[in-house]
Amino acid sequence: MTDQAPCRPPARWAVFALAALLTASACGAPTSEEDGAGPWSPRNNEANNGDGTNNGANNANHNTNNSDNTLEGRQLYAELCADCHGDNGRGHSGPTLWDWDRGRDALVAITDATMPYGEPEVCEGACAEAVASFILATFVDPGGDNNTPLVCDGLAELPTRRIRLLTRREYAATVRDLLQQPAARCSSLRDCDLRHQTCEAGACADLPCDVKTFYFDPQGARYSSVHVAGEFNAWPATVATGGWAMAWDADLGLWITQRSLDPGTFQYKFVANNGERWFQDTSNPEGAPDGFGGQNSLLQVDCAAASSGALAGLTASFPPETRPEGFPFDTAADTGNVTAVHIEEYLKAAERLADEVASSDGLLPCPAALMDAACARTLLEGFGAQAWRRPLEAAELDRLLGLFTAQGRRADGLRVMLTVLFSAPSFLYRFEVGEAVGDGTFRLTAWETASLLSYTFWGTMPDTALFDAARAGELATDQGLEAQARRLLGDPRAENVIGEFALQWLGVEKILTTNKNQAMFPDFDVATRQAMAEETRQFVSHVVFGSSHKYDELLLADYTFANDRLAGIYGLSGVSGSALRRVTYPDGQRSGLLGHASVLASYAHSDQSSPILRGLFVRNKLLCQSLGAPPPNAGGVPEVDPNATTRERFRQHTADPFCHSCHQFIDDVGFGFERFDAIGQLRQVENGQPIDATGNMNDVEGLYTDTDAPYANEAELAAILADSQAARSCFTRQYLRFVIGELEDDADACTLRALDDRFAETDGDIQALMIAVTTSDTFVLRRPTP
Amino acid sequence: MNQRNPLSRRSFLKALGGASLALPFLQLLGDAPTAFADGLGARRLIILYFPDGVPGPSQNGEPSLWHCSGGERSFAIPDLLSPLEPWRDRCVFLNGLSMGGTDAGSHPGGAKKLLTGVDGGGGESIDRYLARTVGADSPHRMVYLGAMANHNNASGDKHISYPSAGQTTPPEDNPVDAFERLFGQGVPTGGGDPAPDPRKAQKVSVIDGALAEMAALRSRLGGVEQRKLDQHLDSLREVERRIKADAAELPPPVSTCDSPGLSGPAPPRSELYEPGRFPEVLKLQIDLMVQAMACNLTRVGTLQASHHTSELIMSRFPDTELYDAGYDMRSHQASHYGASHDFGHREFAEYVKQRRWFAGQLAYLLEQLQSRPEADGTMLDYSLVLLCTEVCDGNTHQHDNMPFVLAGGAGGRMAGGRLLDFGTRRHSDLLVSIANAMGDGLRSFGQESNGGLPGLLA
Repeated sequence: MTDQAPCRPPARWAVFALAALLTASACGAPTSEEDGAGPWSPRNNEANNGDGTNNGANNANHNTNNSDNTLEGRQLYAELCADCHGDNGRGHSGPTLWDWDRGRDALVAITDATMPYGEPEVCEGACAEAVASFILATFVDPGGDNNTPLVCDGLAELPTRRIRLLTRREYAATVRDLLQQPAARCSSLRDCDLRHQTCEAGACADLPCDVKTFYFDPQGARYSSVHVAGEFNAWPATVATGGWAMAWDADLGLWITQRSLDPGTFQYKFVANNGERWFQDTSNPEGAPDGFGGQNSLLQVDCAAASSGALAGLTASFPPETRPEGFPFDTAADTGNVTAVHIEEYLKAAERLADEVASSDGLLPCPAALMDAACARTLLEGFGAQAWRRPLEAAELDRLLGLFTAQGRRADGLRVMLTVLFSAPSFLYRFEVGEAVGDGTFRLTAWETASLLSYTFWGTMPDTALFDAARAGELATDQGLEAQARRLLGDPRAENVIGEFALQWLGVEKILTTNKNQAMFPDFDVATRQAMAEETRQFVSHVVFGSSHKYDELLLADYTFANDRLAGIYGLSGVSGSALRRVTYPDGQRSGLLGHASVLASYAHSDQSSPILRGLFVRNKLLCQSLGAPPPNAGGVPEVDPNATTRERFRQHTADPFCHSCHQFIDDVGFGFERFDAIGQLRQVENGQPIDATGNMNDVEGLYTDTDAPYANEAELAAILADSQAARSCFTRQYLRFVIGELEDDADACTLRALDDRFAETDGDIQALMIAVTTSDTFVLRRPTP
Repeated sequence: MNQRNPLSRRSFLKALGGASLALPFLQLLGDAPTAFADGLGARRLIILYFPDGVPGPSQNGEPSLWHCSGGERSFAIPDLLSPLEPWRDRCVFLNGLSMGGTDAGSHPGGAKKLLTGVDGGGGESIDRYLARTVGADSPHRMVYLGAMANHNNASGDKHISYPSAGQTTPPEDNPVDAFERLFGQGVPTGGGDPAPDPRKAQKVSVIDGALAEMAALRSRLGGVEQRKLDQHLDSLREVERRIKADAAELPPPVSTCDSPGLSGPAPPRSELYEPGRFPEVLKLQIDLMVQAMACNLTRVGTLQASHHTSELIMSRFPDTELYDAGYDMRSHQASHYGASHDFGHREFAEYVKQRRWFAGQLAYLLEQLQSRPEADGTMLDYSLVLLCTEVCDGNTHQHDNMPFVLAGGAGGRMAGGRLLDFGTRRHSDLLVSIANAMGDGLRSFGQESNGGLPGLLA
């Protein structure tokens, strides 16, 4: 491709060929517009010999049934087709070939005219015939009797034995649960942390992070009213003008009110008798000058922090997880390269944790000041085993105790021992190494299984009951494992993880950091973004745990969750306060996840909508159908034309046959979202022109399946997707990836088929799918390192 | 010639943005400065990356607006590179280096090849290589800083530093966190001090304990996850060196290193990805990198400004020619300016301004290096700086005639004020030359490497 011409763009035909080459060789590479979200990438798989043959995989049994040119067809297939359709024809970015039921002539015709994708002239005539014969004989109907050619190779599809670095999310949750002490007893609010807790059923309970209690001690003075005035309510001098009224609690001797606040930092004061006197909050050490020679009190609300108190922001400066190409989740098993930066951060965090444990009587078997070797051993056998999520071996106990006794002072010894406990790989990684079963596979130990269950469902370490089940050997049986899986799934803690899964699956985490045009969208601020993310989390969690559990509800729901920030975007009235609550979509235009602002705004530019990004969202995230990267000089986004709608500006994609070859699968899908602007608000006109939001969800079951599915609005699009097998298979795939931490490939065919079947027989029940993952071999079995 | 202001010994606390950072001791520049014999080589390497290419040769065949033209000494610096005009004599402009044909025409493809010299990023990058060879004796083998390089969970091929084949690692985007790690509480700097860290003995015990646990695990796991564990162990060892080194063992600063601090207020975490703050964040990171090197904490640094296909809204940069309050122009958006260099087309006009702004950031970096004395000259004399991006022309994405610019004296090994044209040589050889300039005897690196670039180094 390169010659003497320095950085000169090639002629048009060469670009086409290049694009084809690009597409064919990197089938499924992420598009340049997207944030690397192509779901498929050829994975190193020991079973793939790289020459089209596959050790012990599906086609091995069928090569005796040759028609004349099957052998040549095999080579052609391997060279031209396997990258996209999979070595065993199950499908990759191209559709599966197993279900081909249109007959031989149609297969030859399509291959001749359109395949390989992007360079159809490469295989015509005799080539197309040979490839078609091979496909039919090998994948579709090898025995000539319509058998499904699914021969499962148990070993090849298992993940390898590995260790997985805790993600920041997992680390923070683990630490929170590990250090959790029994709730302090209380008889009244005075016994708890007044600002951050309530006294419920005799125990102090944490308030949600965005809810704060304001309390004012009048020091014996009597007032008829006291209210809170600050930056959050525009400093009202009276209750009538918006002051947050406080109530007098005679038992406590305090004026109290509890409020839910937006994230941010706010100055405030207490105001007595509707403006007569203004007071600082003396219980709050933080303040700022008030401009009158005094001080306002300062309150910070930051719910992105991992936890409050001594361990606040523990993981805030940890390096972010690396996600390999095409893998959208933070749970990637293979990456997690620990650099010196990681080590520094882990050590700092470990020191903080050690200090916290050493000063928490509730966690120590004896007071810290009296700690001796025997007590330290007890600590390691109890607390240490919880930290490492398994009992410590004798040698490990000896080594750690040695650290305790080597220091001169007791306190130093305890601190060093605990810091190493929290710096060790046994704390930082979760293990999927297993023990040999005898047939070449390895089964996770009881402890490893417990961790995999708890991190899968709860994103954190096992609880006491799960540890007990592991110790009792219950996780060694399918029934015992499933029983625990069901218990975990039924626990409220499962809701957090499904919410995170949803944000990552849909690729909308970026709503928290993406930028929008400030002149056009002045209200798109931190609180709005967080509300959008929370909406999607709560909605998916509600569908999976509180409603039908079904996949189609994710797309067909006529409701969502909103607060006052989102009310403006959705056109809702009567919604006040920052807490999210269920609302019905008001405009009859939205349906399920497709109507979420998080989706519509993430797949848009800062100042305009994007049919391309939205069309690709449907293809990549919902259907797992990937298109190659656009050719380099495809040109960028057409300039915002004050006189044209977005649809008109993208006309070139349809008009130009070169562009159309890919964009036929993108634009017609994405145009249907045109009613929604760059932050997901409904609009009827764009630049004075009426909006045409019709679309065509063509080839929904797979590219080049030659189907049309026109739709007039989002609800119709949602219905098409909800019914589609490709969408459900894609969901299965995405969830499996999240759990196992890898992209699936050909070798996972059997696991995926079993999951697809389970999903189908339960009519798309997501909980059933989640349980089915834990009972498949892929969950507890591993193969040796190649 | 050896003029330097004597430094007094003092220590004080610097409070920045709420974080309290203690410098328990400050170094004393007592000994004679480290003298560099002529031609000994570069003391340090700084790679400055910017995203989405330059206005190179257009699809319609118009010549590049970035590349210089003319003779080796008598060349013209184009208007787009005007910020580098005052630095002409310190720069070497490189034409004709190609990253090869694989994935040519893609941003990720280019980013993967850029510092590795290997298609698909299938190799260690040159900064990581140098970090573990010539950089191994420094307190930090290398420092990798970013400005909004992790925006929107950017990961994988959006990062350009490869500790091993196919694996990237993220830069540190937060100047406060970066400062903490380099200069924060209890971090020793060279030169000796009367008050060692009281917790040092414990830290030594901790790192020894962590190493023991890692060693035990590796042997227990046999060959499972060898690569991951090896890397973890290697990183533990790097930190072990830092923890165990006595202040007196650390290499002395090479330049002014008193009271290191962030050069300005840093944005709070919640505003770290606010595009209007990008210029100040990049400036803080550049200043921090220079300061770390002045204090001799590292010899290898990579500064990554944003990442490929960047959504960075550069029209929000205040007080620049890019600024436009109501109009969003993103880097990647501007890079797809169309088939020809048409200043009447808004995207193109903005693209040119954006690239000029990035060139200005190199000028700023050179200015910072120049302003600090070192040995018989300045830090710039003993530095090697590389300006790079992952494609040539942003619209065609080609990987030929990559817009590399080198700067600095490289310790006497690189003469400035030159334009060198290599025809179509593979850029792997630039990476070899960089290593050679740093004193590493590398003969080939990455793919299709034929040795260092002829005529580049003395």
